[in-house]
Amino acid sequence: MKRFLLHRILLLLPTLFGAVTLVFILIHAVPGDPVEAMLGETASSADKAALARELGLDQPVLTQYIRFLGDLAKGDLGRSLYNQGSVSALIATRIPATLELTLAAMAIALLIAFPLGILAARRRGSGADRFALLFSLFGLAVPNFWLGPLLMIAFSIQLGWLPVSGRGGAAHLLLPALTLGMAMAAILTRMIRSGLIETMHEDYIRTARAKGLDERRVWLKHALRNSLISVVTIVGLQFGALLAGSIVTESIFSWPGIGRLTLQAIQTRDYPLVQGCVLTIAFSYLAVNLATDIIYRIIDPRITYED
Amino acid sequence: MKTSPALALGALLLAAFVCAAAFAPAIAPYTATQQSLDNDLAGSSRAHWLGTDKLGRDVLSRVVYGARISLAVGFTTVALSIVIGFWIGALAGYFRGGVDQALMRLVDILMAFPGILLAIAFTAVLGPGLDHVVVALGLIGWTGYARLVRGEILSLREKEFVHAAAALGGSPLRVVVRHLLPNVLPALLVQATFGVAAAIIAEGSLSFLGLGAEPPTPSWGAMLNEGRQFILVAPHLTAYPGLAITITVLALNLAGDGLRDRLEKRGK
Amino acid sequence: MLLSKTLKLHAVIPLLCLALGFSGCARSADDRPPGALVVALESGPTNLDPRYATDADSERIAALVFDSLARPDRSFRPQPELAASWDAPDERTFIFHLRRGVKFHNGKDLTAADVAYTYRSALDPRNRSPKRGILRFIESVEANGAYDVRFRLSAPFAAFTETLTLGIVPQGTPVDGSGLVGSGPFSLEEFRRGERIVLKANPSYWNGAPRVSGVVFKIIPDAIVRVLEFRKRTVDLIQNYFEPDMLPWLEHNSRAVVSSAQGTNFQYLGMNLEHPILKHRAAREAIACAIDRDAIIRHILKDLAVPATGLLAPQHWAYESSVEAIHFDPDRAKRLLDEAGFPDPDGDGPLPRFKLSFKTTNLDLRKRIAEALKEQLARVGIELEVRTYEWGTFYADVKKGNFHLYSLEWIGVVDPDIYYELFHSASVPPNGNNRGHYRNLEIDMLLERGRREMSIDKRRVIYGEVQRILARDLPYVPLWWWRNVAVMQRTLRGFELYPDGNLISLRRISFATPAG
Repeated sequence: MKRFLLHRILLLLPTLFGAVTLVFILIHAVPGDPVEAMLGETASSADKAALARELGLDQPVLTQYIRFLGDLAKGDLGRSLYNQGSVSALIATRIPATLELTLAAMAIALLIAFPLGILAARRRGSGADRFALLFSLFGLAVPNFWLGPLLMIAFSIQLGWLPVSGRGGAAHLLLPALTLGMAMAAILTRMIRSGLIETMHEDYIRTARAKGLDERRVWLKHALRNSLISVVTIVGLQFGALLAGSIVTESIFSWPGIGRLTLQAIQTRDYPLVQGCVLTIAFSYLAVNLATDIIYRIIDPRITYED
Repeated sequence: MKTSPALALGALLLAAFVCAAAFAPAIAPYTATQQSLDNDLAGSSRAHWLGTDKLGRDVLSRVVYGARISLAVGFTTVALSIVIGFWIGALAGYFRGGVDQALMRLVDILMAFPGILLAIAFTAVLGPGLDHVVVALGLIGWTGYARLVRGEILSLREKEFVHAAAALGGSPLRVVVRHLLPNVLPALLVQATFGVAAAIIAEGSLSFLGLGAEPPTPSWGAMLNEGRQFILVAPHLTAYPGLAITITVLALNLAGDGLRDRLEKRGK
Repeated sequence: MLLSKTLKLHAVIPLLCLALGFSGCARSADDRPPGALVVALESGPTNLDPRYATDADSERIAALVFDSLARPDRSFRPQPELAASWDAPDERTFIFHLRRGVKFHNGKDLTAADVAYTYRSALDPRNRSPKRGILRFIESVEANGAYDVRFRLSAPFAAFTETLTLGIVPQGTPVDGSGLVGSGPFSLEEFRRGERIVLKANPSYWNGAPRVSGVVFKIIPDAIVRVLEFRKRTVDLIQNYFEPDMLPWLEHNSRAVVSSAQGTNFQYLGMNLEHPILKHRAAREAIACAIDRDAIIRHILKDLAVPATGLLAPQHWAYESSVEAIHFDPDRAKRLLDEAGFPDPDGDGPLPRFKLSFKTTNLDLRKRIAEALKEQLARVGIELEVRTYEWGTFYADVKKGNFHLYSLEWIGVVDPDIYYELFHSASVPPNGNNRGHYRNLEIDMLLERGRREMSIDKRRVIYGEVQRILARDLPYVPLWWWRNVAVMQRTLRGFELYPDGNLISLRRISFATPAG
């Protein structure tokens, strides 16, 4: 296990390095100039040149890249071009909001998918099964940016139960988390259903049944445990989708998270902030996938890793 | 072998949309861009079955022409992704070792980004336009296919018929195309049906972020996004393109599921 | 052993706890301080330090926290604020006599030293203030005793009064956004960029304490969500930031009070005068005649705009009333194009006379306007290729002159010297904002005279001539002036719209019944 962990962590480094390089190239290839935006309409060209020099933006891109890597190695993400604040501090204030939203979305997805998936699998072809199918198709087909306002109109305006947008307590969290978690709930419902149906035909389940174990225990002890493995994998992979979705969901729900910060940074060409945000997102995705790999091993000790 | 009802229904719905796309000028009562500013946000009427949008354009015509745009975006994006994904996956799976390691790291890097973020960056670099959206979505969507192909090829490579082909002096290219591709294709197709649905929705999300189809191009995603602001006063602007997306995604998923079941049965 | 529940709970409960744990440390977005007003904004301010505030939201909120020497009135003439009066011993010297007894929010007296410090730090190149450009005519600022400030200009510069709106900060205020203290009707309590800004009433404001306890600015990026928040009564006031089509709905379904008033923000169609087609005046006039402003204003903008004759709005002191708006006349447009040598190859058929690209931003309303323009120009045989860009890319292209046609608006125009910045041949990028490369010697001369002339009557004559020439030459096609519009909850009293959209009336606002 120790060797496995070490190996996996070492593998993270080239991936992160690649991600950082890619984002550096992209942001410098995107047209737009932070100096113009910072100095406003009336600045003289001498002032603009001076600022570009001060920010190091007049240097060749390769020099800027090397300097950026050097700072990064020291753990320095630089300062935001606009309000002079340090990038890491800016990101740190936004991380809790995004974590809160993605974790809640994941929890809601699991809370929907498990009962629905199990029900659909146990009563194949029933009304419940058909409902599960419809739900999962709906969840996949409705884009977040449409679902969000629909939920707001229904739950905040018509029923008056929940706040419309913004971050606050649990009530504020429900609608954005549901919006963000919908697609994941849909995917998981299908996975759990088909996983359970498949396992029920496996030999060892038949054996368990033949031994006279009652149906409920067969389902719970054997079948569910087995399908859990694939669920964990999907949860890991889908975390990336949640982070991506949070960019849209946060904009709709006025949610002060990393997703909106990234968008703002791109719009204002705040290079250091864009780099910091993307690095944070890539890192969290990789970390979650590492975590799923570890959980995977714990749930299913049969799996071994040769490499 | 009996065709499953799900597959049949999915294929039927899909065929209907493809027909709508192909014969849009014959089906749609108006063009997709014909404006009439003083007849905006109108509800259903005999002249406009599904009402009109903010610029007085016929919603039915836009949904019909939209099938053209959205299906084209979905299919070409996935085609592009599959081509890239297949070759990278095949290279990695066939040569293994260092090539495999390097290519899979590349896949890791791309997967570590939220796709939408890369799409934003790509479309910002390439400039606006639907063709660029397709390129951007295609360039980020291939990683899943590459992993799939690599996995399949790693296991196929050990099969006897591949060894035989290689021993007979077949070039790697020939082995891959003649022997490996046909074996991987079914799994790719299943994956692709889901990919098309995802691409249609991703185009919509890009529209929401202001990077989708150029106006007045009637993609369903762009229509859905344009209609959002009128959701309280003219819900039909979002309802119909939304319905079109839902049915298409439904059809694609039914077809994908059916296809997978069929392949699995054949495999057994 | 029953695995089901335990497994499920194991998976879900920690996630929920974690999620709620994070939400525990977030303050509820709804807990408005009692008696405070809530205003919805779209993207919100980027920097509230008056030396850096340049976007509209930043300037409007900074004006509530920081007083300035003077502030323009409704016809854009400067009116005293912190300066009780001023005099000009010669054309290059101004002496301001400060109001006595004005205190900063931290209790310190506001003196001439603070004024001098504020201007000097904005002028200091090391501080890279975006205001340095408009302040560059100031040679020196000296405190003359505790209550007199002496400005020395490097040359006579009529638009100098425009620089008097700079908010005053206490001596020694750093430029990193920390410790922002002003002397205005509200003090800054909390600034979370992209999220919310909380202002608290200043009970000892020299010009009368505000009647609300404070103002919360909520940043809500999505237009439809702003409307829903208003409907839910978690927002009291929205100014301008909503879809025109939502107004009737808000009035009926939310019993909102809607008020609108003439504004000064100027929407125009910019053109590249070095383009082989657009360099012909006739082609530009044809484009101007082909645009049906009235139809766009009536249907798309829901009458929230008025057809414009030029950059300066009618209430401006320098506005030239003899300039007439261009009339919609597609036949004239066709005739002009025919005569200028751009015949339509197939009459009313699908082939265009020529193609031009039109750049705009990717906001919904801008896209809709672009689509309407495309349709209208198509009717006279001009094909418009609409290209929408995200703001950063769009703005960079426009500044570099990389366009055929684009549309933008000028906001916050105060002194007519802005014409120098826009149309003088010395202002071609990167030295100014003459992005279309307009060159006219007569205009150059007039603009140079206008900025040296101190008499307002003589300047009015000069800029009247400038406006007539520009209306003939059409380096811009004037589109419309936006009206300002506000929706507010019924209980709100005393909100007043200003032509430039500023929010200074918030200090006189009150609730008829306690807010809830």
